[in-house]
Amino acid sequence: MFRDAPALRLRGLTKRYDDGTVALQDFELEIPSGAFFGLLGPNGAGKTTLISAVCNLIRITSGDIRVFGEPHDSVTARAWVGLAEQDINLDRFLDVRETLVYHGGYFGMRSDEAERRADEMIEVFGLQAKRSTRAPRLSGGQRRRLLLARALMHRPRLVILDEPTAGVDFELRQELWRYIRALHAEGTTILLTTHYLEEAEELCEEIALIRDGRLIARDSAEGLRDHFGVGRLADVYVKAMAL
Amino acid sequence: MTALVWLCKRETLRVSKLWTQTVLAPVISSILFILVFGLSLGGRIRQVSDVDYEVFIVPGLITMGMVQAAYANNASSIFQARFDRYIHDVLSAPMRPWQMTLGYTVGGIFRALAIGVSLLLLSLLLVDVPIERPFALIPAVALGLVLFGALGVVVGIYAEMWDHTTFIANIVILPLAFVGGVFYSIDVLPAPWHELSHFNPIFYLVQGVRFGFLGQSDVSIWLSLGVTAALALPVYAWSQWLFTTGRRLKA
Repeated sequence: MFRDAPALRLRGLTKRYDDGTVALQDFELEIPSGAFFGLLGPNGAGKTTLISAVCNLIRITSGDIRVFGEPHDSVTARAWVGLAEQDINLDRFLDVRETLVYHGGYFGMRSDEAERRADEMIEVFGLQAKRSTRAPRLSGGQRRRLLLARALMHRPRLVILDEPTAGVDFELRQELWRYIRALHAEGTTILLTTHYLEEAEELCEEIALIRDGRLIARDSAEGLRDHFGVGRLADVYVKAMAL
Repeated sequence: MTALVWLCKRETLRVSKLWTQTVLAPVISSILFILVFGLSLGGRIRQVSDVDYEVFIVPGLITMGMVQAAYANNASSIFQARFDRYIHDVLSAPMRPWQMTLGYTVGGIFRALAIGVSLLLLSLLLVDVPIERPFALIPAVALGLVLFGALGVVVGIYAEMWDHTTFIANIVILPLAFVGGVFYSIDVLPAPWHELSHFNPIFYLVQGVRFGFLGQSDVSIWLSLGVTAALALPVYAWSQWLFTTGRRLKA
């Protein structure tokens, strides 16, 4: 089913918070399977709300969300999504290996399978020396890597990365880009939000600009530049946000 | 079902990793109660309802230690998970709401049983406590732990700060436990305290556990089990409702 269905389809998605703030208003979006999709917008545009809605972390007001054709709150769809949130939210009682193994368990992996995969992820993300270290004792960069490793642990078909490189140094950013590119090359669909325009331009095949909970424009970086008649994505962003 | 097993493992792992705080400390404080109240006061109050005083207080102290632990464990575990937002790992996982509710309740039950069994074994070294009615003891303990484990989950979900979780423990559970017949039989209380004791839910739980141990209590075992069940089921349903609807857990 998921080969034909889009990786993500949002129809009429509205989220109104209890204080009356409307974070998303009749939001429509479709991301094809296998795409590398970027979501750009200022703080408060609705990016994190959108991601939280897809990952069942908020209660949506109305609308429909499908992940590879399945309702987003179904057990099947949940197992297909991997999320690395913007804020570091690691279990303070678990060490690096336990963090990964338990996450695998929550997502339905058997013990031996989860342990094997955790060891693999620890190696891929260069966390061998910290495998028995609890999350609060890791450096910022190591936590960021662990967060990404956790999101990929259960081999999700759709990986959602909410500002994965926010506040990380140049070397780590390059390293994370390599991981993410390799992941996409394997056929994984990626939804990336970022404030770094060069990151979106470098990585994403298609970019959506959102503001005040609404979709403003959507195209490839080149298409957006042509559409707005400017030479740089930064100018596209400035123009789009001023509309 | 695998996900539920892992969540249960995580909640029990937390108890094991912090065993000096989660198990040892409450066991020591309860044993001190037995030593101070039982062995020292036991010389002055020889028997209550034909049972030696130091034996009489053991079931109530075990109950008190267990319900406090079941509540405190779940309230703090879920509040911490919300506060640090690693609860998102569970909320986004392919788990059904009933699995989340049960998984988070299990930690408190595990911790309470670890304390209860430790206390019983240590008590046996000090006094001769019988287990007269095991088939009454098991449901009494089970219902009590479901009640206070689920209450911990509910408070952990509603709490805005740590103080809220400790407020319920210190202002509600502990005083009710102290006046719930842990240290005395309510038959010795004058009116209106005797009658008022019947409005204390912990009184029924203490009586149920005491009946299981000693074969006697101030009220019928069926009334004890009935009242505890009548409280445990709605509180557990409340915690289940919170996970099903996402209220307080999801914006």
